[in-house]
Amino acid sequence: MSDKDKYTVVEAPEGYSGSGFFATTLDKAVGLARKNSMWPLPFATSCCGIEFMATMGANYDLGRFGAERLSFSPRQADLLMVMGTIAKKMAPVVQQIYEQMAEPRWVIAVGACASSGGIFDTYSVLQGIDKVVPVDVYVPGCPPRPEQIIDGFMKIQELVGNEPLRRRYSPEYKAMLESYGIKTDSYDK
Amino acid sequence: MEYTILLQELKNKFEDKILSVDEAADIFTLTVSSEAIKEIVSYLKEQQSFIYLTDLCGIHYPEQEKELGVIYHLHNLVANKRIRLKTFVSKAHPQIDSIVSLFSGANWMERETFDFYGIDFVGHPNLIRILNVEYMDYHPMRKEYPLEDATRLDKDDRFFGR
Amino acid sequence: MERVYLASDYQPVLIQFFVAMAFVIIVMVVTHLIISTRKRVRTLKKEENFECGIDIQGNARFPFSIKYFLIAILFVLFDVEVIFFYPWAVNFKDADWSAFLNMLLFMGIFIFGFFYIYKKGAFDWNKEQE
Repeated sequence: MSDKDKYTVVEAPEGYSGSGFFATTLDKAVGLARKNSMWPLPFATSCCGIEFMATMGANYDLGRFGAERLSFSPRQADLLMVMGTIAKKMAPVVQQIYEQMAEPRWVIAVGACASSGGIFDTYSVLQGIDKVVPVDVYVPGCPPRPEQIIDGFMKIQELVGNEPLRRRYSPEYKAMLESYGIKTDSYDK
Repeated sequence: MEYTILLQELKNKFEDKILSVDEAADIFTLTVSSEAIKEIVSYLKEQQSFIYLTDLCGIHYPEQEKELGVIYHLHNLVANKRIRLKTFVSKAHPQIDSIVSLFSGANWMERETFDFYGIDFVGHPNLIRILNVEYMDYHPMRKEYPLEDATRLDKDDRFFGR
Repeated sequence: MERVYLASDYQPVLIQFFVAMAFVIIVMVVTHLIISTRKRVRTLKKEENFECGIDIQGNARFPFSIKYFLIAILFVLFDVEVIFFYPWAVNFKDADWSAFLNMLLFMGIFIFGFFYIYKKGAFDWNKEQE
């Protein structure tokens, strides 16, 4: 019985291959390794966090993408997944967590509240975390189904696979961080 | 304990301070003047065994003369009776005595009432905002703001049915 | 049967030592050279201890009872003494009385030290420290 038709294998990056070897550029190889072993930091605040718990469960299984090991410390995480409503009081906390992550780092905003404040257009809710941190992928939904969260995660994987190796040293990266109010070279708080 | 006996004793002690009496939703309610609130709460706690403060919250009635109000819910654990005290203060001078010395649980509840209504509790050890950000300069639950933030630039009227 | 050990027999140990040192030095030096210190993002907020996104409250260090340290140090000392027992024990049968008396003297010094620390109260586990 051929189960091979049901499963697709991940495509290899472009490179030169011969018998017994495969040569590609360093950033493609590093990107391939990184994207299939992302360690997320689940910043789960409310209902979207529950959907994420379902996504991590056996039925939808985010672990098969390499994200089995969640990290609640930003020092060891690649991907900040903000899932849930972020209040204005919580905004500096999200920004500090993002700052304390080591480069290269990505951010995914899961759900309507993290993307834009959602239905809570009020004095206490931050209208989207992209007011305080740079976001790479937005997953809409209230809450998004686990399949949508996985789709967002796969888009992050595309970004990770194509990330240039020296991006964190570029002036554009620093300018982008400065535009969010994140200082890049000072030792003041 | 019957409320009529309690009411009689309260009237004897604080004749002019009690402004009105009614019973709404099965809770005996007294509206009292704001200068005497600490006395009345202390009398209820010490003399009448209303030793449990269930709730302390604020309210804003814009059409009244004294707009801002503080509502106290006390519970007599011995006789299983509840009492509600309402006091009103004007927006210009929103000062009320703090009852933190009687009930420690009132500490955060008074901070929340200050945070959302701007009522100044005299004698509170640490009257700062508790749920909102520190740099907020208005009191959100007062009914004096338009429902939507008029300075938002990103909300398109077409999508919001306006 | 006697076997004479020449100095050249220890060459593999020397090579192993140099390989280990080389690994350590190369890894440390090369990573230091690869890293671009001038252009990376370094701020105080980024490098402070992680405190779940807020400012650091209090000190992570706290004082603990010295008896734990004492027990560990004393263990090390007496363990080193036991190490010296091993070659003596292996050759005990072929040795004569002088070996035994020498070891007795050696052990006696240690027993004297043990008696001293016992009297000083290093083994009082439940005693309140003044």
